[in-house]
Amino acid sequence: MNLAPAGAMFLVDDIHYRYPGGQEVFRGLGLRARPGEFIAVLGPSGCGKTTLMNLLSGFLAPQTGSVTVNGQPVHPEMAALGYVFQSPHLFPWLSVLDNVRFGLRMAGQMDDAAQRSRALEFLTLVGLRDAVHKLPHELSGGMQQRVALARALVLEPKLLLLDEPFAALDAITRASMNEELLRLWARLGQTVVFITHDIEEAVFLADRVVVLDVAPAGIHSELTIDLPRPRCLRETRRLSAFGDYTDTLMARISTIVATASGPSPTAAQRISA
Amino acid sequence: MRLALPKPSWSWASLPALIVVWGLAASQVPAYVLPQPWAVVAEALRWLGNGSLGQHVGASLLRELAGYGAAAIAALILGVAGAVSLSFRKFAGPLIGLFMAVPPIAWAPLCMIVFGLGNLAIVVVIFIASVFPMTIAMQEGFLAIRSGHVRAARTLGARRWQLLRHVYLPASLPFLTASLRIGFGQAWRALVAAEMLGASQGIGWMVAMGGQIGNTTQVLLGIAIIGFTAWLAESLVFRRMERHYRTWHLNEGTYS
Ligand SMILES: Nc1ncnc2c1ncn2[C@@H]1O[C@H](COP(=O)(O)OP(=O)(O)OP(=O)(O)O)[C@@H](O)[C@H]1O
Ligand SMILES: [Mg+2]
Repeated sequence: MNLAPAGAMFLVDDIHYRYPGGQEVFRGLGLRARPGEFIAVLGPSGCGKTTLMNLLSGFLAPQTGSVTVNGQPVHPEMAALGYVFQSPHLFPWLSVLDNVRFGLRMAGQMDDAAQRSRALEFLTLVGLRDAVHKLPHELSGGMQQRVALARALVLEPKLLLLDEPFAALDAITRASMNEELLRLWARLGQTVVFITHDIEEAVFLADRVVVLDVAPAGIHSELTIDLPRPRCLRETRRLSAFGDYTDTLMARISTIVATASGPSPTAAQRISA
Repeated sequence: MRLALPKPSWSWASLPALIVVWGLAASQVPAYVLPQPWAVVAEALRWLGNGSLGQHVGASLLRELAGYGAAAIAALILGVAGAVSLSFRKFAGPLIGLFMAVPPIAWAPLCMIVFGLGNLAIVVVIFIASVFPMTIAMQEGFLAIRSGHVRAARTLGARRWQLLRHVYLPASLPFLTASLRIGFGQAWRALVAAEMLGASQGIGWMVAMGGQIGNTTQVLLGIAIIGFTAWLAESLVFRRMERHYRTWHLNEGTYS
C-alpha cells in the first residue's frame, strides 16, 4: 500500500457561535493545526465539545469567523474531511465490507473490484479481515468502532475528526484502540482533532492538548506534549513526564470547574447592585 | 439465509383441533344449521368446478388491489410530507385521527350514493379504510430514521440523491413492509364488509347471499376463503419480507 503522509492545514479563525434562541457557546475561538499534527481537545462536560465538532465539520455554521481545510471552507461532504462519531453509526443493512466501501461507492471513481480490495485493505489494517461478511450487529462495540474508523480512513481524509470515539468502550478495549489509532496515524499521517474528556487519553495521544473553558469562553489554554513516539501504553505511562503532563492538565481542569461552580455572574451582579 | 425445517410446535395442532371441534358440534345439530367440514370442502370443489369460485375471488382481489394500491401510494406521499414538514404533520394529525375513529364500513352507504352501486364505491371504502393507518405508520417510520446514519453518510461524501437512495430507502424498507401489512389487513376487512352491502359478485357477496337464502355451507365456504386468502398474503408475502429485515433490526439499538 502506498500511503504517503497527507495531512491538511487546518485553520479555525475567530469563530463565534450561539445556538438559535439562546446559549452562546463560543466567543472568539481560534485554532491552527499543522499538517499531520495530532490535537486533543479536552474539556469538562457541557463546555461545548460536541458543538465545536459540529462547527469543525461544517454541520453547524458559525455566526462569524470561519473554518477552513487547506484554505477551503469546510463542509461535511468534503473529501478532505473524515469524521468518526461517538457511536459508530454503521449502516445496519450493509455488511462490514459494504459499510467500509460506502464512501468509495458514493465517489464512484473506482470499479467494484477495486472498491472491494481497497475496503479489504483497510479492514485488514484495523484487524477485522475475518469479519468482512458479518453484519454490524454481529460485532462487539469495539469492533464496530474499528469498522467506523476503517470506513472513514478508506477515503484517505487529510483531516480526521474524532468525537470521543472510544468513550462507550470499556477501559481495556479503549486502551488498545488508542494504541491502534496512533499506529494508523503514524502510517497515514493525517491531521487529527480528537475530542475527549479523559486527561490521560489526551496526553497519551496528542502532540498538543487544547483545554476548553466553560461556555462561552472558548479556549482556556494549550499544552504541548513532548513525549517520544512511537508511544505504547506500558512504556509511555511510566515516563515521569507523562505524570507531569496529566497533573498540569488536572490542575487546569479543576480551576475551570471550580470557577464555573463558584458564585454565578448573576449572583455577583445582584450583590454589586 | 438458512432454509431449516420448521420445528414441531403447538401451533400445528390448532387448526386440526378447530376442525375436530367443528365436526363434533356439527354432528349434534341438523346439517342446515351447521354443515360438516367435508360438506364445505365438497361445496368448494363444486364452485371450483364450474368456475364461479375463481370469478368471485378474482373480483374481490381486483377491488382489493385497486383500493389498497391507491391507498399505499397516497400513504407514502402523505407519510413523507408529514415527516418532512412539521406544519403539515400538525395540520393533518387531527384529520387523520378523526378518520381513523370512524369504522370504515360506515362510509359505505355514502360512497354508494355518491359513486353508485358497483366497484368504484367499494374501492373507495377500501381506500379510506387503509390509507390512514398506513400514513401514520410510514410517517412514524420516516421520523425514526436515525440522523446519525444520515450524518455519517454525508461525511462519507453522499449527496442529496445518494442519501435518498442509499440511506433513506434502505432504512425505510422494514417499516414500509410493516405498514403495507397493516394496510392490507384493514383493506381486506373493509372489502368483505362493503361487498356484503352492495355488490353482485365477490367473496363478501357469497357470504351475504348464502345467509339470505339460508345456505350455511356457502356462508362457511366464504368465511374459510376470506380467512385463507388473508393468511396466504400474510405468511407468503409480508412475513417473509419482514423476516428478511428482522436480522439487522434486532440489535440496532445497542451501538449504531
Ligand atoms: N441544540 C442545542 N440548542 C441549544 N443549546 C445547546 C444545543 N446543544 C447544546 N447546547 C448547549 O451548548 C452547550 C455546549 O453543549 P455541548 O453538547 O457542545 O457540550 P459538550 O462539551 O459536548 O458536553 P458533554 O461532554 O456533556 O457531551 C451546553 O450548555 C448545552 O446546553
Ligand atoms: Mg458532547
